[in-house]
Amino acid sequence: MPLSFPPPLQAADSFEDPSLLRLANGVEVVSLRQEQAPLVCLDFWCQAGSAGEEPGQEGMAHFLEHMVFKGSERLEAGQFDRRIESLGGSSNAATGFDDVHYHVLVPAEAVTEALELLLDLVLKPRLDPGDFRMERKVVLEELAQSEDQPEEVAFQRLLALACPGHPYGRPILGDRRALKAQTPDGMASFHNNAYRPRRCSLALAGAIDQLPIETLLASSALAGLDSQATAPPPGVALELRPGVHELELPRLEAARLLMAWQLPAAADLEAVAGADLLTSLLAEGRRSRLVQRLREDLRLVESIDLDLNVLESGSLALLEAVCAPEQVAAVEEQIAVVWQEICCTPPPESELERARRLVANGYRFGLESASSVAGLIGHQCLWGRLQPLSHPLELLQRWSVERLGAELLPLLAPERACRLLALPA
Amino acid sequence: MSRSTPLPPLPQPECFELPGGCPVSVLRRAGPAILSARLWIRGGSAGDPPGQRGRAQLLAGLLSRGCGDLSGDQLADLVEGLGDELRCEASEDALVISLKCASDDAAALLPLLGVMVQSPWLDPDQISLERQLNLQTLGRLREDPFQQAHDQLRSHLFGQGPYGHDPLGVEAELAGLDRPQLVDAAGALGGHGAALVLVGRPPKDLIELLQPAGSPAWNCRTPSLLSGQEAKNEPALVLEEQDTEQLVLMLGTATVPLADPRSLALRLLQCHLGVGMSSRLFVALREDHGLAYDVGVHAPARCGAAPFVFHLSSSAERAAEATTELLSEWQRLLDQPLSEEELALAIAKFRGASAAGRQTCGQIADRQAMVLGHGLDWSYADEALERAGSFDPDMLHVVARQLLSRPSLSLCGPPRALGAAGKVWGTHPLGRPSGVQALS
Repeated sequence: MPLSFPPPLQAADSFEDPSLLRLANGVEVVSLRQEQAPLVCLDFWCQAGSAGEEPGQEGMAHFLEHMVFKGSERLEAGQFDRRIESLGGSSNAATGFDDVHYHVLVPAEAVTEALELLLDLVLKPRLDPGDFRMERKVVLEELAQSEDQPEEVAFQRLLALACPGHPYGRPILGDRRALKAQTPDGMASFHNNAYRPRRCSLALAGAIDQLPIETLLASSALAGLDSQATAPPPGVALELRPGVHELELPRLEAARLLMAWQLPAAADLEAVAGADLLTSLLAEGRRSRLVQRLREDLRLVESIDLDLNVLESGSLALLEAVCAPEQVAAVEEQIAVVWQEICCTPPPESELERARRLVANGYRFGLESASSVAGLIGHQCLWGRLQPLSHPLELLQRWSVERLGAELLPLLAPERACRLLALPA
Repeated sequence: MSRSTPLPPLPQPECFELPGGCPVSVLRRAGPAILSARLWIRGGSAGDPPGQRGRAQLLAGLLSRGCGDLSGDQLADLVEGLGDELRCEASEDALVISLKCASDDAAALLPLLGVMVQSPWLDPDQISLERQLNLQTLGRLREDPFQQAHDQLRSHLFGQGPYGHDPLGVEAELAGLDRPQLVDAAGALGGHGAALVLVGRPPKDLIELLQPAGSPAWNCRTPSLLSGQEAKNEPALVLEEQDTEQLVLMLGTATVPLADPRSLALRLLQCHLGVGMSSRLFVALREDHGLAYDVGVHAPARCGAAPFVFHLSSSAERAAEATTELLSEWQRLLDQPLSEEELALAIAKFRGASAAGRQTCGQIADRQAMVLGHGLDWSYADEALERAGSFDPDMLHVVARQLLSRPSLSLCGPPRALGAAGKVWGTHPLGRPSGVQALS
């Protein structure tokens, strides 16, 4: 246990709050100036993750993310990348269950051009049939690369078992059969339905001093989005199915015990802050409960991690213990013992304070780069949860040991988990 | 054409030397109230003695498992209790202690740096645990076909030399390491030089925190500039059979240290070939042929002969096509200079990557500690950015022909793909002189 009470959260933080601009068609644009930033990050977000795919569209959200970079009505394939990179910038994108985002990092003097290019590319993709066929090969290679990693295969199986019938149980990359049947027209329809004002946001962060954002966007493709938008489809409520499963995998060298629990959804900010505290208390750092017991004291595992995945339909806590196959039963037993101990004997306040500081500093360190700030505020804005930067730190203070024990600890009961034991074949 | 603008130079740091000789560079920076510190101690896994491969990494893991007056648990309580991070890792060339903390916590944590390097406990029980963890990690890494292809290429290029093994070590030798060897290694820390870089908002009384009154001086010196030996490359095909869907291909060679003037030309070639979605390999192999998802160039900075490696993975049934195209791209480098437009784009990407690498205190501390650790000046990166503008395509071509003419090919995948790729290699000018070196 900690030697002494550490001092309270540091008061030296001085956060500037993000500015919000709402375009006439309802799109929200959020920005934040960072004094020390050498670059600007532009981050376009859309509620068009894999959870919004209909039957037959499996993998399309991610495939579309690839296709966007194949050019627009005005930009030839590859032209966007060449122009951004010749400006000293870089770009990338990522598709999740709930949303997708496209981001560009450029020097301040290149923002005007980069913004125009990015919005044109994302909102008016060409979806050329020849490019579509070629890019599908790339997506299939990505799928194959993922399937050659046995750990990835195990995690995907865990999600399928834990979330049957829910989009979170399906691979974001999709499946071969569906991908091979998809067409450019079908993708255009998916894009047209999803990339709509009420489902999009744009974030700018970094060296944006005196940037006339409103003027820049006035004639942009973003401002031109049709405001007669369809409402996003209601998310399917997640109901995690507990269970115990086993899987043998070739090329697996160490066993994996994987466990998934359901936690409160992203919209419940306070509960998410509490879940962050609890998972940190349990598994972040050498002196966390699970690492101390299973790796340091009993030496049963090579590693044990517990990650909080904050999601719209219900968050997931995912545990991975890496161990020798013969240790799996003992590992499972000890995880239950640790949980039982915390239930019976609430941890001291100092242990909660340790977790609070780990979470707070992780957040604070994440506010350094333009990319991470744009990602944070763009995502908040997308889901209507824009808040002052200090707010997450304040939420951490609302949780006591007693409250964690009463409200969140029961959600991590071993019997509520979906467990998958992956063993070397 | 490129229109990228020059990056403002990194400000000069405040510099001083600790008693004992360790150079310290401090760069104050606005932004969140945090501090990043890197203590870069020359002598990583490249310095593992024969029969003791894995020693540097094992020592690195043990520095935070008890030192000075603190047991491993007490040290973890202190650092984690404040919510901060203190890690120590061995790379090929260095043992690096990394501290990332809130500025308010720095006064409590900075004194630990000196204690860790001067007074590690090397407790037998903790040695046993750390060794077991490293052995387990080495075993688990075999699950990854990219790791397999990388390991066998490294082993071929560097053999028993300094870069021939993973910093984690070699299982049989790691298993035999114990306290006496680690005591030797700990006693030698700093003997080849070290550099401490602090970036962010440091506390007052920095010197007193780094060298508390009454604490012994750490004998150390400023790292000297190294001139590594020219690598002797023997082209070969090395194979690893795995029941995978894809074939992993790594085509590479050993080149020169960061301090060699030609390393900048290699960096520009890397930008041209593998940085960004406009890069040559990305466009030719992924966009034009749909052969791979992940394709790029691995070219780390090293004190000695650094590897320069093309890598991709492609479906087993496309093994011959992927190999043909990969070899063609390498041959193209040797046969023709970049166009003026390609060079301009490579320079723009080099500048862009440099700017992106200066966003956080941790990134700057990492980079600058490495530069100083190589015996180069603080302004090396800015000078390289300026020098890059003076290159012409012929200069890069000369370096490519000097350093990249004898690559080796490493493959990991199913037998039919290995056979198809090996056949292509055997008929290609780059592969013709060689034979198969290993088949497991």
